[in-house]
Amino acid sequence: MNFRRLKNWFTDRYDFSDLVKLAQSKTVPVHSGDFLYYTGGMILFLIGLQFITGMILAFYYVPHPDFAHKSIVEIVTKLHLGWFFRSFHHWGAQLTLLFLFIHLFGTLLVKSYRKPREFIWFTGFILLGILIFFGLSGYLLLWDERALAGVKVATGGVKALPLVGTFLMAFLRGGVDVTGETLTRFYAFHVAVLPLVTLFLIGLHVLLVQYHGMSIPLREEKNNPASIPFFPNVFYHDLIVWLLLLGVTVTLAVFFPPEIGIKADPLAPTPENIKPEWYFLFVFQTLKLFPGEILGLNGEVIAILLIVTAMGLLFLLPLFDKKSSRGEASPLFTWISVGYIAYIVTMTIVGYLS
Amino acid sequence: MKKLFYTMIFLLLSVAPLWGAAAKIEVFPSAPYARYIIYESLAIFWLFIISLIVIIKLKLREIARTQKLGINREAAPIPQLE
Repeated sequence: MNFRRLKNWFTDRYDFSDLVKLAQSKTVPVHSGDFLYYTGGMILFLIGLQFITGMILAFYYVPHPDFAHKSIVEIVTKLHLGWFFRSFHHWGAQLTLLFLFIHLFGTLLVKSYRKPREFIWFTGFILLGILIFFGLSGYLLLWDERALAGVKVATGGVKALPLVGTFLMAFLRGGVDVTGETLTRFYAFHVAVLPLVTLFLIGLHVLLVQYHGMSIPLREEKNNPASIPFFPNVFYHDLIVWLLLLGVTVTLAVFFPPEIGIKADPLAPTPENIKPEWYFLFVFQTLKLFPGEILGLNGEVIAILLIVTAMGLLFLLPLFDKKSSRGEASPLFTWISVGYIAYIVTMTIVGYLS
Repeated sequence: MKKLFYTMIFLLLSVAPLWGAAAKIEVFPSAPYARYIIYESLAIFWLFIISLIVIIKLKLREIARTQKLGINREAAPIPQLE
């Protein structure tokens, strides 16, 4: 059966003409900030690669505190190309989060969140939170002493939240402390719960982007920029970017395979100078800024409340920025966005260097 | 001779804790031949990527040319003579 006959066989049964028309009618504006459009596609591509490499690793990983560390050591040292898939999965996760932050910061600066795209912003922001939790849950699966200490710090911070803090921490850890129960729970989150939530949110996010069309920055909107068809022009550009991204991820996986520390011991004291993963560094560094007690109140609780409030305000930003919704310039919100980005970037760098 | 003896003792004592330390887990093949194969494969992989990018670029140029000429659009159906 040749391709044309196969195609005819399908078109006799299913009418794809509307989908083809939709793909052909989709256009993408051309302007100075159009490179930001590619970051969304890059994240999608990286998540796809993460699913593939994650499935390969899951064939050999044993989610049990007695065997988890050993199984990873065996994947890396005994399995053919096991070291590569583990390293690729690690670097894929780092790059996904890096491009997510770039995508978020770009959206923030060009105000793509403005009316009527508020829900695109909301779904994207929740996706960022989900993918950060993806990273954290995957980090613990290594079950070495650094991962154990890092997760202790990250989940311990949740306890400081008023009312729900203790419950949330116990829910995440599967008990009072980070133990084998936490490993089982994080494995379930990493391979079952989070992939489903991620797929649903990505689907919704992409659907909303198709519904509203591509956002044009305010300053470019007045110039009425020209558009190019998504298929084939932008699609081929996407392919070039994905190929380069694949090459960079493979190169990083080959030259910088992540280390494996000594096996975690939940009863051992936390080693000194433990830092969380880079995407948590700004939170970690903020917590370090606060003294133990402020006016008789717990300093950590105040810090966590401030961080949660700041993140909540960032999440709801499209609802406050009325001017940009009306198509007017809103320099106040530009400066607020710049402030957020500068703070997160500076604190991450300070946390990394200190 | 005495100096050399003390130096050797000092050196041995200073590296002694390393013998007690846990062995570092090899996260990358250590055999030189395996490394050579990996680096060679990486170079071939990049050549493959660059070649594909060149092909896509040529295809894009062709698409831009046809779009400029307007021959990519479907022609209106020819009226049929009754």
